[in-house]
Amino acid sequence: MIKKDLSVDFLGVHFENPFCLSSSPVGNCYEMCARAFDAGWGGVVFKTIGPADFKVDEVSPRFDELQKEGTPFVAFKNMEQIAEHPLAQNLADLRKLKQNYPDKVVIASIMGPTEDDWEELARLVEEAGADMIEMNLSCPQMTSHAMGADVGTNPDLCQRYCAAVKRGSKLPMMAKMTPNITTMIPVVKACLAGGADGIALINTVKSVANVDLEKKVGLPIVNGQSAVSGLSGKAVKPIALRFLQELRSAAGLEQLPVSGIGGIETWSDAAEFILLGATTLQVTTAVMQYGYRIVEDLKNGLMHYMEEQGVDHLSDLVGQATKQIVPAEQLDRNYKVYPKIDWDKCIGCGRCFISCQDGAHQALSWDDDQRRPVFDKSKCVGCQLCALVCPVHAITLGLVEMKPGREGDPATVDVASQRLPS
Amino acid sequence: MVNDYQKEAPGLTLSTAMQEAARCLLCADAPCSKACPAGTDPARFIRSLRFQNVKGAAEVIRENNALGAVCARVCPTERYCESACPRGKIDRPIRIGDLQRYITDMEASLGMKILKPGKDTGKKVAIVGAGPAGLQAATTLRQRGVAVTIFEAKQKAGGYLTTGIPEYRLPQAIVDHEVARIVDLGVDLRCGVRVGKDVSLDQLKQDYDAVLVTVGCQAAKQLDQLANNVCTEAAISFLARVKAGQVTASDLPDHVLVIGGGDVAMDVATTLKRLGVPHVTDVAYEEFSEFRASKTELAGTRAAGVTLIDGYQPVSAHQNQVTFKHRKVAAELTIEADKIIYAVGQRADLTGLDLDLQHNERALGAAKYHTTDPQVFAAGDIVAGDQTVVFAVQKGKEAAGEICRTLLGGNDHD
Repeated sequence: MIKKDLSVDFLGVHFENPFCLSSSPVGNCYEMCARAFDAGWGGVVFKTIGPADFKVDEVSPRFDELQKEGTPFVAFKNMEQIAEHPLAQNLADLRKLKQNYPDKVVIASIMGPTEDDWEELARLVEEAGADMIEMNLSCPQMTSHAMGADVGTNPDLCQRYCAAVKRGSKLPMMAKMTPNITTMIPVVKACLAGGADGIALINTVKSVANVDLEKKVGLPIVNGQSAVSGLSGKAVKPIALRFLQELRSAAGLEQLPVSGIGGIETWSDAAEFILLGATTLQVTTAVMQYGYRIVEDLKNGLMHYMEEQGVDHLSDLVGQATKQIVPAEQLDRNYKVYPKIDWDKCIGCGRCFISCQDGAHQALSWDDDQRRPVFDKSKCVGCQLCALVCPVHAITLGLVEMKPGREGDPATVDVASQRLPS
Repeated sequence: MVNDYQKEAPGLTLSTAMQEAARCLLCADAPCSKACPAGTDPARFIRSLRFQNVKGAAEVIRENNALGAVCARVCPTERYCESACPRGKIDRPIRIGDLQRYITDMEASLGMKILKPGKDTGKKVAIVGAGPAGLQAATTLRQRGVAVTIFEAKQKAGGYLTTGIPEYRLPQAIVDHEVARIVDLGVDLRCGVRVGKDVSLDQLKQDYDAVLVTVGCQAAKQLDQLANNVCTEAAISFLARVKAGQVTASDLPDHVLVIGGGDVAMDVATTLKRLGVPHVTDVAYEEFSEFRASKTELAGTRAAGVTLIDGYQPVSAHQNQVTFKHRKVAAELTIEADKIIYAVGQRADLTGLDLDLQHNERALGAAKYHTTDPQVFAAGDIVAGDQTVVFAVQKGKEAAGEICRTLLGGNDHD
């Protein structure tokens, strides 16, 4: 097996690898976190700890999942709130984790309804031996509106709570953002002004995943009713990457330390977060579906990627893709690239033809006798929808042509993706 | 049509391999991984593929099996990993062999070099025979820092992989690639040297710390009824001639009779059809309900158009006529064919090696892989156990572990 150093330093804390459990049901007690460490996770964000007087009262059932064409868990909906164990038990678990796993990173996620609560919780988790604090400003399914995602959209509250945590503890601290907001920048700046050292993003996306058509109620059904709650998993990865990109390309935030969260299942998902500026990574949904064991391929695959990229330090990859994502108005619009059809691979299903007819610009017609598409270059706009729908990857990027009257050398146009189809 | 008859069936593509991996249930205690005689961990490599880690998947296969690309093609997975697959309770088992083939093909196309030689121990071992057991043992020994010289009587390494298994099931290029990878670990491979003739076993015992004999079962068992019959040929002789490119359709009569019900018989019958022989009849001792050949092989033989007759044993033969009687019901049939190929098993030929195998045939526990000579070990088909490539790999691995334990002391880390 390949061996590469996956260690990273984040907010002054050394992680043996960047993979952490995110604050959720997967890190609910000492025993679970210990097994995750044994499986190879570099850090754990312990399930969010609230004040002693906040009583967690959960519903049953509490999860739902979104499918597409037989693929389960395209997205996952979760109604669980914060840690249900008593405060003293949670603190004892943190202490024991740090004692038994001194080289692993134990991050305490906290949440409170008042400045005093935040300050007190920060003090308590530092005392318990946590390495870092994550402020949960973003849980979308709290039964108290003084806590959770509603707070995370309010810059003033965020700044005050961050300052409170900093009063309570000297530990490095990251604030966890909600995606249920148009732009994160004002909230992030407020958190930083309040003393946050870094940002964790994203928490779950408010959702109704499915509706029972007979009972006429959303899923999961809780005694005849349902509620909006957080969506996670692969489907939210593009949303998380967008927020990450927005932050790391904002003036003054180019070096913002970020812990990336949202739909990470594979090493390549992880690498995408890293290339857009995340230093550590947090995972829940894939663990809920597959277990702690997924960290084996997250780590091994990332090591192979580092080897391919010729880097010895993961930090060398952080943010390497940020600059190549620009506002839409800055993109080169002077050329188009036509599809190239490999007739040896084409199996004659006609999906390219259907999509081109109904979803694009009618450049592909259908030869009924030959059972194959016929290409009319004069109608093609170069959108490449045909290549995306082809089930055998017979369509690739072909001829590049400058639009009429535009300057440029087609030979230098860079369009070919090296990403493997999957 | 020679090229066509040799052609291997196309394997999975990236898309179809990912779809197949997505069918895997990722079971908690993975019955497939417990079912492999060679200790391969399909659950682990399928999971790696599922999570887009092709290179990691290749590492899982290769670190356990020096012949991973060979086993992917020839292992009767239906009897092992795939028979244990719980997905079969939903529809059909995961195509584990095909996934292993895809991953090892990727390993080759990516130019991965996964295995590394261990730190030199100063010990050296001679291996007699470059078949699956010898090749795996050489790999395991090199990984543990033992110098290895393989003496192979034939001009090419691979043993039965090279001389027996048809090209359409196992392309020679795959065998050559596996051998090259093993030689690359620093194995001194000497082909065309027959131990017992060109060099004596005693000489090897003098020159090396230990000798591992993995000569396989290369002699065909005979049927008494067919002794001295000019129309007959042993299956392994026929398959070797085909692989050497010495047989064409024009050399063969219009009707060939094959006797046997194992994988070798199926290979012969299918090869004959692929070569263009119009009529091929296979008569098997076993009834289909107790057939020895793998289901895949049997299905391939049927698909090739071979006439299969089960449950008959030969009772007499006169030149090109063989008479069979059903083993259980009153029935007799006489078949006339100008060529008769028998595939009724093989045995070890230890001429010149002066090796006491009786000990091994009974050997269990601590004595495993030892011969009566403390310096000489044996593995592969000549010792007790199944005679499949996957078992040969496991025996080679275990014998190498036993040699290390003997030469270097300590525990076998396998």
